[in-house]
Amino acid sequence: MRSYWARRVGSSVLILALVLVLNFVLFRMMPGDPVASIVDPKFSPEAKARLMEVYGLDKPMLTQFALYVKSSLSFDFGISFLTGRPVADELRSRVPNTVALLGSSLLLSALLGTWLGIQAARKRGGALERLVLWGGALSYSFPSFFFQLMLLMVFAAAIPIFPLRGSLSVPPPLGGAALFLDYVWHLALPVLSQVLLGFGGWALYVRNLMVKILGEDFILMARGRGLPERRVLRGHAFRMLLPPLLTILLLSLPGVVSGAVLTETVFSLHGVGRFLMEAVTGHDYPAAGASFFLLALLTVASTLASDLLYGVTDPRVRLERGRGR
Amino acid sequence: MRRRTLTRRWSFWCLVLLAALALFGGRLFSAPPDAEVAAPFSKPFWLDRSLPPTVTADLTPDAPSAEIPWSWGAPSRFFVAADMVADAPGRTILWTKPGGRTVEIAPLKKGVERDGRDMAFKRALGLPPFADGAASLLDERGTYRLSVDGQGPWEGTVRLRLDGGRWGLFGTDQRGRDIAALFVAGIRVSLLVGIMATLIATALGTTVGLAAGYLGGWFDSAAMRLVDLLLSIPMLPILMALAAIWGKGLWQLVLILSIFSWMGTARTVRAMTLSLRDTAYIEDLRGIGAPTAYILRRHLLPETLPLLLATMTLGVPGAILSEAGLSFLGLSDPRVISWGRMLHEAQTFGTFTAGAWWMLLPPGLGIAVLCLAFLDMGKYLEERTDPRLRGGALS
Repeated sequence: MRSYWARRVGSSVLILALVLVLNFVLFRMMPGDPVASIVDPKFSPEAKARLMEVYGLDKPMLTQFALYVKSSLSFDFGISFLTGRPVADELRSRVPNTVALLGSSLLLSALLGTWLGIQAARKRGGALERLVLWGGALSYSFPSFFFQLMLLMVFAAAIPIFPLRGSLSVPPPLGGAALFLDYVWHLALPVLSQVLLGFGGWALYVRNLMVKILGEDFILMARGRGLPERRVLRGHAFRMLLPPLLTILLLSLPGVVSGAVLTETVFSLHGVGRFLMEAVTGHDYPAAGASFFLLALLTVASTLASDLLYGVTDPRVRLERGRGR
Repeated sequence: MRRRTLTRRWSFWCLVLLAALALFGGRLFSAPPDAEVAAPFSKPFWLDRSLPPTVTADLTPDAPSAEIPWSWGAPSRFFVAADMVADAPGRTILWTKPGGRTVEIAPLKKGVERDGRDMAFKRALGLPPFADGAASLLDERGTYRLSVDGQGPWEGTVRLRLDGGRWGLFGTDQRGRDIAALFVAGIRVSLLVGIMATLIATALGTTVGLAAGYLGGWFDSAAMRLVDLLLSIPMLPILMALAAIWGKGLWQLVLILSIFSWMGTARTVRAMTLSLRDTAYIEDLRGIGAPTAYILRRHLLPETLPLLLATMTLGVPGAILSEAGLSFLGLSDPRVISWGRMLHEAQTFGTFTAGAWWMLLPPGLGIAVLCLAFLDMGKYLEERTDPRLRGGALS
């Protein structure tokens, strides 16, 4: 029997390998001569060949792939075709922004969603339950970017309480605290929109789970023993809720990262997603490949983290023999 | 049990209406959706009643004059153009004011155009170079008349357009296109992409799921591994890359979307096949020597069909949203009008700088309503196939 941890880490490595292959294949197939975007067509063939050599585009595909894997794993992504600066430098300033956006919106929507879901399950048929049901349905069908554009329209253009674009004011304010506040002010609307769009799904899941859990015999038993409702909810029901909650988190991560790409584009945030967007439209392979790789890495890393947490909260998965969760 | 019949679901009628609009909606508009019909960023007609509307009039040999009642301030543009095959010597285009005073606009020639902002036209009208041509031509309230005067045969159309700043149900966009017409044209793309992508994805997923569930062994583990892997990669970045590689055409988009959305169906079908595989009647079939392909096609596939119908309907919103997302990012064919593209243009031009919120709401709400309708329809179908689910969201 292989240990649970080894299997989880193994599957993450496999995903990363697939990402690397996909990434290489996809971005080498991009249309348009990449050199054409930085080289004047009037350049001599020698100069063109020299540039191809600098960017490693003249070597055989397999060598290119080996080089690519090696450099990706060491976070050396080459030089951007468009800006002429190392892609790693471009990305270094963007990764924290994306992590901040993802982290804060996931955390807030999970907290709000879980709380609402539990309340809805406790008082079935109430106004709160209806809110949760509709919120869940809307979060599946409402185009996120439309909702965000409307928020921008109302709270940035019509009533200017939030900034229209960017991660920081131009020029950025001086001083640590002022800079931080400015950053939070710019992040507020994107995070708010992600939370408003995300909590419905969470609440719906939690409500459905909780309804099931509250109908179980051990809850009846706990209530029969005369335990206060608070204790029944926190000590008994919530413990049962935690493992499936982590599964949902796990399953929702790729979607959340995809959503971040749209969010960053709508709010013109200085993040990896928008960088990817610009790189894809500009045929900038190194930049596009690197940002896709980073986004996938971010997903895989958080998936692994919640997977491991899952093993901690639910001993059954950890001790289970054989394949599957 | 309430609302069991199909015709009592709002979503059914909503989808019928949208489908009818997609098929026949183009006939509601005289101009094609990508034609410039009014001034850029014209407001919806019901929004600001003090603004002059956009007025058009066509003169033909059968109706050589048109009356234009006018009770607003000056329009932003006065534009007359002659669409003719040949010159008509001896004829002129005349503009008669309510008081009876007549202004000669232009001789009726092939391709002649007069714009109130044009220097030469202003000079011909005897106005100073900085005057507003449209304001001087429409300087009072009453009934104006545009006519073709003189002797001699002529053939063709003389078009007049007064840009007031109001147009149609939803106004116009940054190029002066009618948003209502664009909206109707966009339904077709959303429906087509959503349904086609889901159909292909369902076919793919069903094939993989049936084969994996029934055959088991290495194929099963390989397929399910692939499903796990694909489900754990963020999809939008891949779709973006593929859209940039394969081109922005509609069919490429359908293909890209379907390649990356079969996994859920494969899982469901596999689970169902697994539970059916060992039932007595399938074992009997195997016992009497039925070929695998026959069992799959004639017995397992029909069992999964009702479930598939619901899964498929529930999958359409995902495809519609993905298409809209990609188009919104500008990764779609700019010549194809879709709701996502409209949102892209709303963001890129105008919505924020010009405050043209009417560019934003119709396509966005359209997507939301279409997706909700499919979701509700899917829930209905799910309930029909599995009555235990009754009483969930939206029912």
